[in-house]
Amino acid sequence: MANAVEYNDDVVKKFVIACVFWGVVAFLVGVVLASQLAWPELNLGLSFTNFGRLRPVHTSGAIFAFGGSALFGTSFYIVQRTCHTRLFGGEALANFIFWGYQFFIVMAALSYVMGYSQGQEYAEPEWHLDIFLTVVWVCYAVVFIGTILKREEPHIYVANWFFMAFILTIAVLHLGNNLAMPVSVFTAKSYNVASGVQNAMIQWWYGHNAVGFFLTAGFLGMMYYFIPKAANRPVYSYRISIVHFWSLVFMYIWAGPHHLHWTALPDWTQTLGMAFSVMLWMPSWGGMINGIMTLSGAWDKLRTDPGLRFSVTAVGFYGMATFEGPVMSIRSVNALSHYTDWGIGHVHSGALGWVAFITFGALYYLVPVLWKREGLYSTKLASWHFWIATLGIVFYITSMWVAGIMQGLMWRAYDAFGFLQYSFSESVSAVHPYYVIRMLGGVLFLTGMLIMVYNLIQTVRGPARQPASLAMAEA
Amino acid sequence: MEVETGDLIVGAMMAVFGLIGLTLASGATDNEMYVFGLSLTGFAAVFGFGLIRRHYDKAEAYARKENGHG
Repeated sequence: MANAVEYNDDVVKKFVIACVFWGVVAFLVGVVLASQLAWPELNLGLSFTNFGRLRPVHTSGAIFAFGGSALFGTSFYIVQRTCHTRLFGGEALANFIFWGYQFFIVMAALSYVMGYSQGQEYAEPEWHLDIFLTVVWVCYAVVFIGTILKREEPHIYVANWFFMAFILTIAVLHLGNNLAMPVSVFTAKSYNVASGVQNAMIQWWYGHNAVGFFLTAGFLGMMYYFIPKAANRPVYSYRISIVHFWSLVFMYIWAGPHHLHWTALPDWTQTLGMAFSVMLWMPSWGGMINGIMTLSGAWDKLRTDPGLRFSVTAVGFYGMATFEGPVMSIRSVNALSHYTDWGIGHVHSGALGWVAFITFGALYYLVPVLWKREGLYSTKLASWHFWIATLGIVFYITSMWVAGIMQGLMWRAYDAFGFLQYSFSESVSAVHPYYVIRMLGGVLFLTGMLIMVYNLIQTVRGPARQPASLAMAEA
Repeated sequence: MEVETGDLIVGAMMAVFGLIGLTLASGATDNEMYVFGLSLTGFAAVFGFGLIRRHYDKAEAYARKENGHG
């Protein structure tokens, strides 16, 4: 009986609301930053509005606040349904995970604008915030793994494997990269135990696997649940999903050194990172093909279900970004692409196209189900969201490709006498038009998000679903 | 109605957080630690009150059900 278990959906609803809220904040700050890069006067001459302090607000806001809330919420939703049991640990622990995580996000953002950072990219919060996050994360692991242990189904569905890899690996990465000695217990300043190239290596072991396990494995868990659900089809190949899981988690962990090509890092380490990055292409595309082929026999649903359209397009962007990544990790390509805006374009094709789109697909599916509504307030508005956001991504990534490759070529150009042909400031001036186009892409993406917010609010305010159709949706 | 074990554990955790927050704020040598310490104490106090409120809400709902009014 599908309805016999009373799931804890309150905490899922809270994370859904937080995800939407932080999405707006993160995208808005992104647009402000893109504008600052095009017109530096917008830094306003104030310490707390300058680019250096706002950038981690944007990156942490997008990755940990928007993406993290999406992952917490969907993992709690999925693990209860696929294990056919209520969340382990009771309501109080689930609520602590929600409010504790939101508290961490607010405190981290506040510390960034106040000028406090430990200078590790995507791990900027100082030691006291890291310890608080560790407590929240351990509680999350206890609840998630506890729920799996008390499952009423013999099988552990593949989405839960991806979520477990995400939870456990992020815990290890967080502890490893944040090993630091505080100046004193009462001071928000610490020094990492590693320095120099060792620190850089640990930082990018963390940084790349934050992409691999936070932004990839967790969201693949989402893909493996919501695409089959929305398409009403089983996963195309369960065997591929298992191969996808084990090959991805084995290979990702070695790929970090590709962020440190042409540095003091030993050559063999750079080559190791490059080789594993190129090998990663195959499991990534195996997963992409599995996600897309799940629609076999249900392609017509893309015309009528904009949520599913988001999910499937997200898988397409996943395929694109996981091809571009291995190419950029090749040392000779990296000589051109590194330190340029090509990297920014690559990150955003993954962050906007994959992470945000797969989340939008999940949100369009979840909100009517969680709030027990017949369906979305407007599929037409969701369709508008899809096309506006897609256009925004195209503006963003194409402008960054052009800007990045141009920067790379200008920086390496020599004249007949062997002098650098361009000064650095000339390359800055040359990319200005592309920075404006990138900003416009961001505005479009934010506009789409605001349309979704309106659509979801109206959905929640709409009439409740009839009991008969409710039972069908829960089944 | 019995107090749930989860509520007790989380409640005890909040008491510890509140005390840590006060300690950090009292000895803080910079603005960040002062703000964090006070905020942590505030967070722990509000969450603790929330736990108490939810417990009594549940107890009332349980009593209503027992008396056949639920």
